[in-house]
Amino acid sequence: MINQPGTRDLLTEARQVLLDSVAAELTGERKYQALMAANAMGMAIRELEQREQGEPAQTDRTVRAFLAERSLGDTAGESEAALAQAIRERRLDGADPALRSVLRTLTEARLRINNPGFLKR
Amino acid sequence: MSALADIFSSFIAGQTGARSARVIDFDKLSGGAIQDNFGLTLELEGGSRPGRQEFVVRQDAPSGVAESLSRPEEFRVLQVAFKAGVTVPEPLWLCEDSEVSGQVFYVMTRAAGSASPRKLVKADFSEDQRRNLVRRLGAELARLHTVRPPQATLEFLALPDPGNPALSRVALYRRYLKEIGEPHPVLEWALNWLEDRAPEPGPTVLCHCDFRTGNYMVDGDELTAVLDWEFAAWSDPCEDLGWLCCRSWRFGGDDREVGGVGDKQDLLDGYREASGIDLDPAAVSYWEIMALVRWALIALQQARRHMSGEQRSLELALTGRMVAQMEFDLLNQIQELEDGQ
Repeated sequence: MINQPGTRDLLTEARQVLLDSVAAELTGERKYQALMAANAMGMAIRELEQREQGEPAQTDRTVRAFLAERSLGDTAGESEAALAQAIRERRLDGADPALRSVLRTLTEARLRINNPGFLKR
Repeated sequence: MSALADIFSSFIAGQTGARSARVIDFDKLSGGAIQDNFGLTLELEGGSRPGRQEFVVRQDAPSGVAESLSRPEEFRVLQVAFKAGVTVPEPLWLCEDSEVSGQVFYVMTRAAGSASPRKLVKADFSEDQRRNLVRRLGAELARLHTVRPPQATLEFLALPDPGNPALSRVALYRRYLKEIGEPHPVLEWALNWLEDRAPEPGPTVLCHCDFRTGNYMVDGDELTAVLDWEFAAWSDPCEDLGWLCCRSWRFGGDDREVGGVGDKQDLLDGYREASGIDLDPAAVSYWEIMALVRWALIALQQARRHMSGEQRSLELALTGRMVAQMEFDLLNQIQELEDGQ
């Protein structure tokens, strides 16, 4: 089914209207509410962009490869839960740079959606 | 609203023995999703507090949730802190009869100034003003931490279990994470790190446990009141300092470790000057890691309140999406601590 313009386009435009024509006219608590709504829409837009670039499947593959190398089983679709469990059960060395790198990959993938500016800290 | 003002003013007239009480001003103060805070200015005639008086009335919001202290418990903590010389609003009267206003409430004096974090972090302070304010924060904590268990009026506060407050927190946060039921490998990893490196505990003292920028009032460059005592607990002194220094509470003033206001050394100096106790900066750093984990779990719990339908709220929903920030800070800060920066 062709249904244009696309979701990302609609959300981007709606967010811009909210910022330029609505939030700009407001003050105090109501401005804060409008900015929160724009922030939520920004996350949705970035999540769509990330999907177009192969997420979250790509991050999931990285985690699965890490677990497979350590014989922690096939964890398709639930790799994050398997990783959390293996750490909780102390089956992984917390100091292992490869583990830390995987944890960073997961966290950065979320931040690219939730708050890309935070990655520059 | 005005009916509520009349209820509170009659209550205060009764407590002070005033012949009459006239409402000059009544408004709902910002902050607090769990509690409602009302500012109430009265003209009292006669009684123990005659003349124009400014009060704050604090009561549970209709949608109150209980993970923290009840209003009567909070009132008792506030009384103990006031007696210990901490700069707090003076706790005046507790009304445990919910027939009076519909909720249990208490009345305290109103402090001058603002608790707004953005305003404070953006303030055009000199280095001296910053140093004095941060030393004062240290001194306030030092005075609070003179309160040791047992305290007859604070029997509702449980002692850390196990006896090491850090390990007690790790156990509690593991339980929270399990209850949330969502995989968070970074938090699991950080909890292991905290478990393996728990410092020798300091004395068990009365801690505020939410002592951060945004929860104390400042008038000009002067601290006027430490607020929001609902998370008070028996714990390690460094828990309060770690929470205050946590990266999440700098409100854009990232290079100023103490709540976006000033330097950690001044905080420790202020603490030592008021108490004679030298706290170990490494223990404070450890509790900063604990603070990031705690805030991540609180954020996850807030998101759950939204997702379960218990309290639908965009603000709570967005708080859930902040957890990756705490996780990112955990990865960086643990690495920096290990590298000895």
